[in-house]
This record gives sequence, structure tokens and C-alpha cells, in this order.
Amino acid sequence: MVAFFGVYPLIYSFLGGVAEFEAFLPQTETMIAVFYFGLFAMSFDFISGYTGYLSFGHAAFYGAGGYFVVLVASGKIPLLPAGTPFMVSLLLAGVLAALLAVVIGSVSFRLSGVYFAMITLGFAQVLYVLMRDWDYLGSNPRDGVSVSNSLHPEGFEIGVPFVDALNFAIGPLRGDELDLLFLDLGATEVSYYMVGLVVLVCYLAMQRMVHSPFGRVLVAIRENEERARAVGYDTFRYKLAAFAASGFFAGIAGGLFAGYRRSVTPDNSLYFLVSGDALLASIIGGFGTLAGPLYGRLFDRSIREFLSKTGGGGGLLPLLRDYVPAGVLETPILNGMTVGQGIETFLNGHAALYLGVVFVMFVLYVPGGLLGALRDRLGGTVAKQLPAYLARFKR
Amino acid sequence: MTATVAALDATAVFEVFVNGLAKASLYAMMALGLTLIFGLLGVLNFAHGSLTMLGAYVAGLVMVTFSGGGTAAFAWFFLAAVVAAVLVGGVGAAMEVGLIRKLYDRPPVYQILLTFGVTLVIDELARIVVLFYGVQPRADWRAALSTKPPVMGQSVDVLGASVGNLQLFQIAWGVLTVAAVWAFLNRTRYGLVVRAGSEDDEMAAALGVDVRRVFTVVFALGAALAGFAGALLMWDSVWGASVPLASETLLPAFVVVIVGGLGSFRGTVVAALLVGMVDAVMTYVFNQGIVTFSGLPELTVFLILVGVLVVRPQGISGLAEVGGH
Repeated sequence: MVAFFGVYPLIYSFLGGVAEFEAFLPQTETMIAVFYFGLFAMSFDFISGYTGYLSFGHAAFYGAGGYFVVLVASGKIPLLPAGTPFMVSLLLAGVLAALLAVVIGSVSFRLSGVYFAMITLGFAQVLYVLMRDWDYLGSNPRDGVSVSNSLHPEGFEIGVPFVDALNFAIGPLRGDELDLLFLDLGATEVSYYMVGLVVLVCYLAMQRMVHSPFGRVLVAIRENEERARAVGYDTFRYKLAAFAASGFFAGIAGGLFAGYRRSVTPDNSLYFLVSGDALLASIIGGFGTLAGPLYGRLFDRSIREFLSKTGGGGGLLPLLRDYVPAGVLETPILNGMTVGQGIETFLNGHAALYLGVVFVMFVLYVPGGLLGALRDRLGGTVAKQLPAYLARFKR
Repeated sequence: MTATVAALDATAVFEVFVNGLAKASLYAMMALGLTLIFGLLGVLNFAHGSLTMLGAYVAGLVMVTFSGGGTAAFAWFFLAAVVAAVLVGGVGAAMEVGLIRKLYDRPPVYQILLTFGVTLVIDELARIVVLFYGVQPRADWRAALSTKPPVMGQSVDVLGASVGNLQLFQIAWGVLTVAAVWAFLNRTRYGLVVRAGSEDDEMAAALGVDVRRVFTVVFALGAALAGFAGALLMWDSVWGASVPLASETLLPAFVVVIVGGLGSFRGTVVAALLVGMVDAVMTYVFNQGIVTFSGLPELTVFLILVGVLVVRPQGISGLAEVGGH
């Protein structure tokens, strides 16, 4: 799969010229968004899917990371100058989010079930209101904060700090371009690979944790917490440690998001519906499978782009405008509404409706999500079983 | 500083008190259906805010279409509220029968997930309809706001303080609704059946109660209360009828229900009073310029939630373990 994501931009730029493919394939820009939000959804799944504690205020850590990175870059954090390397501020953002998680977790893990979901939601909303109305951040904190062009004209550099040759800047329409052997990569593709690299490293780290004895204990807590405690595990500490780790990666994800977008607003980072989006990705991709949320997010974003308002990067709308004959478009169906108007009404940027329906269907009929269902069918983790399964067809 | 001290006399305190009551009444209306459904069915209904939003639109539509304003508006408002309650209650019943019924024997998290999905669908459908009919060029629906009879904009003198008529109306409406729900649960025969069904559904079924139908009725009733609340919110200039109303009312409703103790009817009323009063006091503090942080009232509402859960995880009058069924 890494290979697939590795060559994706090349495939896209190769097929992108053809309208039919463009309609179905998500743009490379969209894929970057899938990466950083997928990481956030993974970190959400790391705590909620593996321990069974629904962290409904997970956006707090995502937003904390995002705000931290942007504020450091604007020189608004004491002791950290605006010129701090991005990777350093990104790491610090993760640490900050982890500390925040320890604070919130030490209070919240005294509760369970619905109460846990609600108290984490409460903490996240406190943070949301604080950042939304705190005038230190700017004259209008509701609109969020952004990185000024004069301080960082070229965007942020991802790479090994203080080693210039290994750093590449990210950012839409900015950032570095690269000529490598016979490939020339645009700013978007460079951003894609650099953001993807960070996400890959984080994914491997989480993967390691999940498959360690530590991860087994988390699953034990999810299946039967009392029994886990009876066996002798201090479940509170395990939960707290998992929450802190999850917060760390959520903070990294938020930092990447803010670093790529160069700005962060309360509504796209701290609001409780952002946690809801992570939940959506986790359920569709597979609750309790680490890589699932990434695919869930890919699914989510692809549908949204496919049904997007402008048809930017292709989509269903331009395709229908081109292919459906004018005679059909002007046929009235209901109450003077023509087919064309109907298409515009129901397809114009209302992807959330269809996603909601898909989501409900998944909750009802595919509780394991895409990856979980696949895993059940193959009888083991996808990475292990899929090659064996495919090998059967080769004979 | 002198201005602050001068403003803190008995009249101001009384005004804050009445404002607090009015806010408490709104909060109680938003939370009542949520607590009913959770207390009796054990389902935390994430779609409650969306149902409230539907109620606000339906009631607003009835008012805008039929009511000509003036004193007759009161009668029309009553009708609009009933229409909203019936329609939204119907949506709730359909939800229970079609979706939620399949999930009773799964972990409670799945019910949260499912109702969360339903919110996406309802909100987006509402957005499509609103866009298509061009109902809403603005964030809040002014046409529904302006169906308020002119009397509501005025205020009366009570003990030297000026008290808004709208606030008084909200208080009366809230108190009546709370009393009616209480009476239904505790004083009617069907209320007894409902409580029995939620306490021990197998025993109730053995005694000849159609438990499945009781659950549907309870869900419909909870949804109808959300619609009722929406009708009241439609006139309030702070809330109005708008699509974001769904998430805006959901959060305070959650706070009230959790602070009161999930599923506890009395706790919900007490918590609504607490949250409403604190909200009113904090609004006053901000308006007087004592604290310049404009998010203060909203912030304290969530701080109450966190604080209460830390000190008393089961809420003011909740049971330690909420069973569901």
C-alpha cells in the first residue's frame, strides 16, 4: 500500500488529463488532506478503537498542535522565535498535546462510557471557546490565526533540523520543487511526499505500539476491563499512557495540517464536529484497525470531491453537465423542477447527506468497517492474509 | 468601578434572576426530550439537536404562512408548536422503528454513532430544502423571528425592574411543559407503563405490555419535545431558526442532561436552573465590562460540565450506574 501511495501523484498526473478519470480520482492536494487528517483519525482510533473509550473531544489535541505550530511561526510563544525549524515546533506540538492529554485523561479516565465521551467533549469545548474569543491571538480570533507571508515566505520545511540539504518546504502553491533524475516534481507533489513521510513514520510508530504487549493490554481493557485489572494490570496507567500517545500523534497531525495550510481556525481544528469527522473516518475505515481510518478518510474525501460544488478536480457534476443531453436536463419532473435543477439541487456540494447515509449503513450492517470486514473475510490481518489470498488465484 | 457598584442593586439582581429563569426555561426545553429518551431507553440521542432545528423550521413555516401577527399570533403559535411537535415526533418514531431498534443489544457507543449519522442526514436535507426554496439568505431566519407579536418586544415593570414579555412567556411555557411531562410520567396510567417498560422490559413484557411499542412511543415523545423546544426558540433573537441550530442546541442540552445526571428528570430541571442562572450572571458580568472576555458565558457553561463531572461523576441527582435496559 505504501507503494500505491508512493506512485499515486505520478498516476494522477498521467491520467489527470482524461476527464473520465479525473472525475473519479481525488486530486493530489486532496490526498495531502487525506494524509494529515488520516493521521488524526488514526490517533483517534488508537484510543477509541483499541481501548473502547470514545474520546469525543479529540479535536482538542489536533487543534492544540495546529495552534501551537502557527503561533510559534508567528513568534507569539515565549522563548520560541519565529524562525524555529518546523520539525522542532512540530515535535513540541506533539509533546504539548500529549501533556494536555495527560491532564485531561487523568480527570476523565475516572469515568467510562457515555460520561467519558461527554467530559472529553466538555474539555475540548472549553478550549474551543477560549481560542475562539482570546484576543491575544489576533484582532478577530474567530477567523483563526495564520502565518504571515513576510516571516515565512516559502512555507515550512520538513526534514532533519539544521541539515539544509534534507529539508523540503511544504504548502499549497508554495514550497519547493524538485528535479530528481528523470522526474520533476511540482510544489504539490513535494508537499505530498513530505507530509506523507511524516504520516508514514507516525503510522509505523503506532503500529509498533499496537502490536507490542502494551497494545495487547489495551485490547484486553476494551474486551473486559475488570478482568484486565484482576489479572494485575494497572489499567488506569495503561489508559492514560495510551491517551497521551494518542494525543501526541493528534498534535502532530494538527501541526502538519496547520503547517501545510499555513493557518488554523477554531472551527476547522477545535470544534467538536472535527472529532466527529475522525469518528466518521474510523467507522467507515474500520474501528479498531490502525490503518482503517486512513482509508475511511480517503473514502470520505473522495466522495466529497466527487460531489463537490464546483467540480474542482473533476467530479460528478461537470461529468453530468457534459454527458447528459440537454433534452433530458430540461424535462420537468416535479413541481416545475427540471432534471437539471434536480441534479444541481441534490448533488451540488451536499456530499454530507450521502456520507451520512453511508455512515448509518456502516454502523448498522458493517460494524467492522472496510478494513475490519475485509479482515474477517480473510481470517487475519489484511497485511498478512492478502498476499496468501491472492496467491490462490495464481495457480 | 463606581458604575459597577451602582449597578449592583436589588433591581439589577432581580433582572438577572428573571433572565436566568428564562434561559433556564429554554435549556430545560432543549434537554427534556434528551433526558427522557436516555432515562427510559438508555439511548443517547445525538440527533436531538437536529430534531430541535426541524421543529424551529416547521413552526416557523406555519407562522409565516398563516399568522398575520397581532394578538391572534398567540393562537397560531400554539398551533405551530403542536404541528412541530407532531411532525418531529413522527420523525422520531420512524427513527426508532427503522434504525435504533436494531441496535438495542449492541454496546451503547453504537447508538451514539448511529444517531450521529442521522444528524448528518437531517442537517444536510434541511440545508438542501432551505437552499432550494431560498428560505434563508441570512444565518437566522428573520421571517420567523418577525412573526412574534409586538407585545413580545415590550417589557413590563415588576418591582421597579423592567422585565421582557418574551422572557415571561418563555418561563411560563417552560414551566408548563415540565409540569406536563412530569404529570404524564407520574400521574397517568400510560406513564406507569412507560416507567415499567424501562425499569425491567422482560418483566413488563411478561405482564402483557407491548414493550416495543412503548419504546417507540417514548422515542416519539422525546422527539416531539425537541420539536416543541424548536418552536419556542424560533422567536428568540439569540437562537432563531437556522441549520446550525442543530449543533448549537445539542451542546447545551448535553451539558444540562449530564450535569443533572443522565436520565434523571428532576436532575435535568435542577441543572437547567443552575446553567441558566450562571449563564445570566456571566452575561451580566460581561455586559457590565467587569470581564472583557466575550466567550465568558459559554465558557462557564462548559466549565460547569467539567467541574460537576470531576466532583460528582454521576451528575447532580443521577444514579451511579445508568442501566438502560
